[in-house]
Amino acid sequence: MAYVALIPLLPALAFAVLAPLSRRARNRMRWLGVGAVGASLALSLVAFSSVWPGGQDADALYHASWPIAQVGGADLSLGLLLDPVSAVMLLVVTIVAVCVQLYSLAYMRDDDRVGWYFGVLTLFTAAMLALVLADNFFMLYMAWEVMGLCSYLLIGFWHEQEAPRRASQKAFLTTRVGDVGFAIALAIIYATVGSFEFTAVLGAAGSWAPGVATAIALLLLFAAMGKSAQVPLHVWLPDAMAGPTPASALIHAATMVAAGVYLVGRALPIFEASGVALSVTMLVGTITALLGGLMAMVQHDIKKVLAYSTISQLGYMFLAIGVGGAVAGTFHLVTHAFFKSLLFLGAGVIIHASHTQDMREMGGLGRHMRWTAVTFGIGALALAGVFPLSGFWSKDEILDAAWNGGHYAVFFLALAAAFVTAFYVARLWFRVFAGPAQTDDLEEGPATMLLPMTVLTVITATIGFAAPAFSSFLGHEGHWPDPLIAISSSAVAFAGLGVGWWVYGRRDAAVDTNMLKERAGLVYTVIERKFYFDDIYEHLIIRPYIWAAEALARFDSEHVDGGVNGVATAWCRVAEAAWWFDVNVVDRMVNEVAHAARVAGSNMRRIQTGGVQVYQRYVLGALVLFMLWIVVKGA
Amino acid sequence: MMQVGPSAFLALAAVLFTLGLYGAVARKSAVMVLMSLELMAVAVNLNLVALSRFITPSEMTGQFFAIFTMVVSAAEIGLGLALVLAIYRQTRTIELSSIDELKG
Repeated sequence: MAYVALIPLLPALAFAVLAPLSRRARNRMRWLGVGAVGASLALSLVAFSSVWPGGQDADALYHASWPIAQVGGADLSLGLLLDPVSAVMLLVVTIVAVCVQLYSLAYMRDDDRVGWYFGVLTLFTAAMLALVLADNFFMLYMAWEVMGLCSYLLIGFWHEQEAPRRASQKAFLTTRVGDVGFAIALAIIYATVGSFEFTAVLGAAGSWAPGVATAIALLLLFAAMGKSAQVPLHVWLPDAMAGPTPASALIHAATMVAAGVYLVGRALPIFEASGVALSVTMLVGTITALLGGLMAMVQHDIKKVLAYSTISQLGYMFLAIGVGGAVAGTFHLVTHAFFKSLLFLGAGVIIHASHTQDMREMGGLGRHMRWTAVTFGIGALALAGVFPLSGFWSKDEILDAAWNGGHYAVFFLALAAAFVTAFYVARLWFRVFAGPAQTDDLEEGPATMLLPMTVLTVITATIGFAAPAFSSFLGHEGHWPDPLIAISSSAVAFAGLGVGWWVYGRRDAAVDTNMLKERAGLVYTVIERKFYFDDIYEHLIIRPYIWAAEALARFDSEHVDGGVNGVATAWCRVAEAAWWFDVNVVDRMVNEVAHAARVAGSNMRRIQTGGVQVYQRYVLGALVLFMLWIVVKGA
Repeated sequence: MMQVGPSAFLALAAVLFTLGLYGAVARKSAVMVLMSLELMAVAVNLNLVALSRFITPSEMTGQFFAIFTMVVSAAEIGLGLALVLAIYRQTRTIELSSIDELKG
């Protein structure tokens, strides 16, 4: 079973090979990433088949751990844990990753940094695979951060432009806010249990004081809210659409944003031990599901519609876990990963063909791009929750869990979100594919882009029937959805689609979107301004932060710098005094000595007449004086 | 016959030396100065011989010394005259008062 370690290791090695190469060599070697992820997919299939048929007994089918370091008595280890949940996640991640990589070969063909793109995409896949295979919170946290880095790199891939640059920073900083919660949670977990291992931590969760469990659970939830773009930390995900579309499909729709849900699902015993945290999870999920759907209704950028839709669907997953339907939430994670990456890849084809992301400039694409219209339509219907596509089954399981859990208010709010979802899905499809064509030079995408979409379409269409099998695979009792709930959710979905068609799809429908704006001015404005989250952050956090930074800078330049300058000036004065002393005392002394010597010399030269006889007279005089001195002394 | 004592020799030597000294200090011509120097050397020789004759008659120290001095002063006068000739070629004069190139 040691091949399990190869699943995250192969893509990581591919990145390690690609990273140090020159740009040109890397561009030629891009197949390496595709190959590594493909190999991971093959190994994941083997791993999945070894876990099958799952159930409770299959827990921890493979468990291995390698210690890497000891920090202050804490054993840090890399460990792999293959159980049904991670086996399912492995398949989801590798299938979507392979589809996205194949698609990217065509989509990113003309970019001159395509090699780096594939390298980061591969590193991301490695991190995500390591995350789902992790057997302890510490390794999960490491993979979590590597994914954050890859997300940052891919959002800002076109860093020559202003928007991707800002978006990558925003995404990095916003998720980092949540990650602080993760770090604190890790500290509390270690202080309480003395280990990071899932089995040790989760096994002990029931015996903790309720406050501890609540604190850890809420902090982990906070981290998950950052990663999975839950209100109020959702603001980064729509902006993240500035990155390449296939990367959005893999990271910001299918896998990384689902990591938060996966984390909450993994740590479920802690949440259950707390109880309060479970309710908070439910609340956050419900609010996000509803707000995300509402915001998706008014966006004009096709990718932003999908981004808000992702936020909303992730809210559904949190909601599911909050009402006690963790299996339903996980199943929705799986189905959502497939149909949302399908939708993003379709959006990529649409953007490639029409050279715009603004839906107001699209229309009538269906006549020219039939295959895209069909596959995108199937993905959209799955998102809307139409029988028998996968979204229907997973959403019904969530509604079922909410109803049976006695959370009737949540149930109806979720139904409302389903209606909104169906509405914006209809709006999206009809605005793009129906109506009069705006241009005629539209071409269907190449086969290399359509093939991965077709694979995802097939999975999207069929995976729903695996719902009961999925439950039993995860060790829960599998069942089909309650017919009454299925009927009500279908009715809501069709109602939403119908209204969407009536507003946007009819032959004589008002093409300009101003109709809604005029009918519901205030509400529309509030939603269009994204519930003012960005404005609130701008005024409450960013502006005061910049203001404080400027105030500190002023203090720095006026007072701190003043002090430093004062000391410097004082030293200048001291130096000047020393200079004065040097010039006026030391130099002057030397000069005076020299001057005296010169004066003496110019006086003495007068007796140097050059006449030999003058000198003789001096000698004679001296001799006379000498003799006189002897005579006087002798006397 | 009058006995000539050492004081007479010393007196004669003193006269000669003084004449030489005066000539060396006062004459204008370099040749005359050289001749005056010779005169002083002669006075010294006379002293050496006289004192040797009267104080230590048995030894010939003074006489030998005088002969050495005469040899040295002969060489010296040769050198001096050569210098005077060289100076004359340069400056067309042998007047010492006008040879003052080392004036400070």
